[in-house]
Amino acid sequence: MNQKGLQISTPTDTTIVLTRTFQAPRRLVWEAMTNPQRMRRWMLPPPGWTLTVCVCEARVGGALSLAWKNDEADPFMTLQGVFTEVVPHERLVHTETMQLASGEVVSSLVETHAFAEQGGITTMRITQVYESKEARDGALASGMDQGVEAGFQQLEALLAEVA
Amino acid sequence: MVVDRSPRLDRVFHALAHPARRAIVRQLSVGERTLTELASPLKMTFPAASKHVRVLEAAKLVRRRIAGREHRCSLRASPLKDAMQWTEQFRRHWEASFAALDTLLEEMKAQEQPRSRRD
Repeated sequence: MNQKGLQISTPTDTTIVLTRTFQAPRRLVWEAMTNPQRMRRWMLPPPGWTLTVCVCEARVGGALSLAWKNDEADPFMTLQGVFTEVVPHERLVHTETMQLASGEVVSSLVETHAFAEQGGITTMRITQVYESKEARDGALASGMDQGVEAGFQQLEALLAEVA
Repeated sequence: MVVDRSPRLDRVFHALAHPARRAIVRQLSVGERTLTELASPLKMTFPAASKHVRVLEAAKLVRRRIAGREHRCSLRASPLKDAMQWTEQFRRHWEASFAALDTLLEEMKAQEQPRSRRD
């Protein structure tokens, strides 16, 4: 099961690499990653958020556009990107800027997805390259700015257990 | 640095995995204690308690000051906080999404099966 588990590494100061194995051919993993109807099923928003916009045009120059709303604002956060490299079922590269309704940019990065299949099992490797070490560390530390509160709750539970 | 193989985080979780060390952390959450004070409620010898404190020190959960013959121990809570904030949140977000993706892929495979092959 270790092979299936999520691996997270930071090979350079500005990079995060996520590797995960899926029990499905890469054709299906690709479909799940690029078809907006499918994406809505697995891209879980933080509690209280709803995904309102989901556009994914997986071709060079195509747009990636996501938006979430919550009690505070609609949209509360947007993600805008452009596909710069698309090799069907193999490789996807897109830019991505996450922005709050206030206009504040939360993160700006280039994301590469590489899909390798062996015996009907797909290994997907996501490489995120941030603009700076500070931006990369910020994304890691904040849980992509999502559900930080849940982290504190878990910390409290752990402290309650030892206290 | 490999985040999910972080030796520092491993040490924190390893340190908290033992009931005696959780008991020590519990005692220290009230305030500073000497090693002798920590050892007695655990019915432990000084060297045994010292060994557990050493594991907690390695995880940077506990600080030990030696004053004369006394080993004074105090709690450092920041690694706990770091453990949660630094990687667990990021990891949990992706793990939850990928678990949902697993479910979706199973459905997609099942939908394809009648067309592609029969068992």
